[in-house]
Amino acid sequence: MKAATQHLRFRLLMTLALGALACIRPAAGQDGPGYSYGNQTGKNETCLACHGNASLVKGGFFIDQTRFAHTTHARIGCPACHDAVSKGHSDKNRTPRANCQQCHGDISGEYAASIHAKKASCTGCHNPHKVETPREISGQQINQICSRCHDRYQMSAKHGEWLPQSELHLQMLPCITCHTGSKNYFISMYIVSNKGASQFGKPEVTGYNELKKLAGGGNILSLIDSNGDNYVSLAELRNFNRNPDHKFLRLQGMMTPETVTHKFEILDSRRNCTFCHASGPGSMQTSFIALPEKNGTFRRVAVEKGAVLDALYGTPDFYMMGSTKNNSLNGVGLALICGGLIMPVCHGFLRFLTRNNRRKKEHQS
Amino acid sequence: MSEKKMIYLQPIPVRIWHWINALGIITLIVSGTQIRFPEYITILGSYRTAIQIHDAAGLIVAVFFSLWLVYYKMVRNTLDKLYIPDGEDLRHGIMRQLLFYCFWYFLGKPSPYHATPNGKFNPMQKSAYLAVMFVLLPLVALTGILLMNVTPLRVLILMSGGIKIIDTLHFLSACSLLAFLCTHVYLATLGSTPLAYIKPMIFGWEEVEDHQEQPDQEETVLPGYRPVRHYPEYHAAPSELKDH
Repeated sequence: MKAATQHLRFRLLMTLALGALACIRPAAGQDGPGYSYGNQTGKNETCLACHGNASLVKGGFFIDQTRFAHTTHARIGCPACHDAVSKGHSDKNRTPRANCQQCHGDISGEYAASIHAKKASCTGCHNPHKVETPREISGQQINQICSRCHDRYQMSAKHGEWLPQSELHLQMLPCITCHTGSKNYFISMYIVSNKGASQFGKPEVTGYNELKKLAGGGNILSLIDSNGDNYVSLAELRNFNRNPDHKFLRLQGMMTPETVTHKFEILDSRRNCTFCHASGPGSMQTSFIALPEKNGTFRRVAVEKGAVLDALYGTPDFYMMGSTKNNSLNGVGLALICGGLIMPVCHGFLRFLTRNNRRKKEHQS
Repeated sequence: MSEKKMIYLQPIPVRIWHWINALGIITLIVSGTQIRFPEYITILGSYRTAIQIHDAAGLIVAVFFSLWLVYYKMVRNTLDKLYIPDGEDLRHGIMRQLLFYCFWYFLGKPSPYHATPNGKFNPMQKSAYLAVMFVLLPLVALTGILLMNVTPLRVLILMSGGIKIIDTLHFLSACSLLAFLCTHVYLATLGSTPLAYIKPMIFGWEEVEDHQEQPDQEETVLPGYRPVRHYPEYHAAPSELKDH
C-alpha cells in the first residue's frame, strides 16, 4: 500500500515536471545561455542546504550548485527522483533513486542494445547532478568521460592498427564523432592556451575565469567578437588569430556531430577516410566558437561560413586533408604548374616549326 | 674541326639517386593529388593507401636527398662547384644560355655550354638546380615530415605559424617542383638528339665533340670560366676575360 502511494506521488510529480518542461521548450531550442533551464532551485533548497555544502557532505554526496542549477534535473527538483527520503537518510538508509529509464525511455532502449550496456550504467558516463547537453560540453570533456574506461594509449595503439596518425585523431576528435551515426557535422572551435603560458606547454581549453581576466572583466566573447553582435565574422576571426596580445590563445577545431545517439556503434563507414576527408568544402562551412560559461558549460557562438576554409588565418591550427582545402590556393598551385608548362609548350611549338634549321646544321657537320 | 668522343658524365651513385628520386617524385605527385582531391582522383585505391604510399615515397626521397648531399659534398667534394653559379655565370652565362634557348636553338646553333664531369650544368641549370635542390626540395621534405608527425612535432608546427601555414608551404612548393619537372623533362630532350641528354643518366657516358681547345688548361688559368667552344663570337680570349 505504501509502495503504491509512493508510485502515485512519483507519477504526479513527473507529470507536473514534464508539464513545466513543455511550457519552456521553445526557449530551450535556441543557442546560447537560454538553452539551459535556468536556476529554479526553489524545491531543492532543503536538500542543498546540506548537499550543496562541501563541509557537510563529502564525495559523491556533494552537489555543485552552480553546475546543478542549470540542469533539467534541477528544474524538476530533487523529490522527482529522490522521493520518500527518510529523516535519518544521512546516517543509514539509502536514499531512493528514480530509474533513468522512467523519463529517458527511448534513450535507455537505444543504449540497452549497444555494446556498452553491459559495461556501464547511465551514471557511468552521466552525473545526474551535472548533466549537460551535447552542446554544453566540450569535445575534450566528452573524451575525458570515455577515457575513464578506455585507456588513451591503448586506444591510440588499437586505432593505429588501421588509422594513420591515430593519436592526432583521438586528440582532435570527440570519440562520438565516429561512434555515433550523425548525418551532419560542424566544426566546434575551442579557445585553448598552452599550459603554463609556455610556447611548449600542452594546449588546454581555457577556462571562464582566465578568459574573463583577459577580457578585462568584461564579456569574454569580446576577445573575438569585437563589434559585440554575438556573431563572429571572418575578419574578426583573423584579427583574433593574428593579435599579438593573444600570443598563447589559439582556436582548436573539432569536428563534432550535430546529433548524438547512444548506440556508440563501430561504423564501417568511419573506417573509410573519405567519410571525413573528402566531404568537401560544403560540410566544412558550418562552425561555432564554443565559449565557456561561468557554470562550467559551453555555449555556441555562430561563425561566418567558410572560416575553416580560410587559406591561412581563419583557423591556422585546424586543417583536414582533402576537406578544408582552399580553392584560391588551388588556383595558385594550378597557375604555378601552368607556368612550368609554358616553356615546354611554346618552345616545343617553335622547335617543331624550325626543325629544318637544325637538320641543315647536322648535314653541314 | 672536331671528332666525337665519350666522356663519363654521371657516376653510378648519381644515376641511382636520380632515378629513385624521379620515381619517388612521380609517386608523390600522383598520391599527393589524390590526397588533396579525393573526390575526383582514386587512382591508388583507398585514401589510406594513398597516404601510406605518399608517406613512404616522401621518406625515400628525403633519405636519398640526404645521401645525394653527402655524396656530392663529402665524397666528391664538388657540390659548390657544380651547383653554385660563379661570377662569370651570373654576369654572362645565364643570359647567354637564355638567348640560346630562346633564339639560337631555333637557328640550329649548338649549345654555348659544354658539359664536363666537373662542370655538368650550364649557368641556367645551376641556378635552377640551386633553387630546386637547396630551397624547394628541402622545404617540401621538411614540411612533409611535419605533416606526417603532427602530434610529436606540434611545437615546431606552432612555431612555424600553424598547420595551415605548413600545409600551404608544402602544397605550393610541391606545385613549384611539378612546374620545374615539366621544364626539366622537356629540356632533357634538347640535345643533339632527343635522347642525347637522357642516355648519360642511364649509361653514364655522353657523346661529345672533341675540340681543339684544352679546357682544363683554361680552367686552371681562370677558375670558374666555362669556355664557349661553339660560338666564336662568345669565345673571349683569356686576356679579355681577366678584365672582368
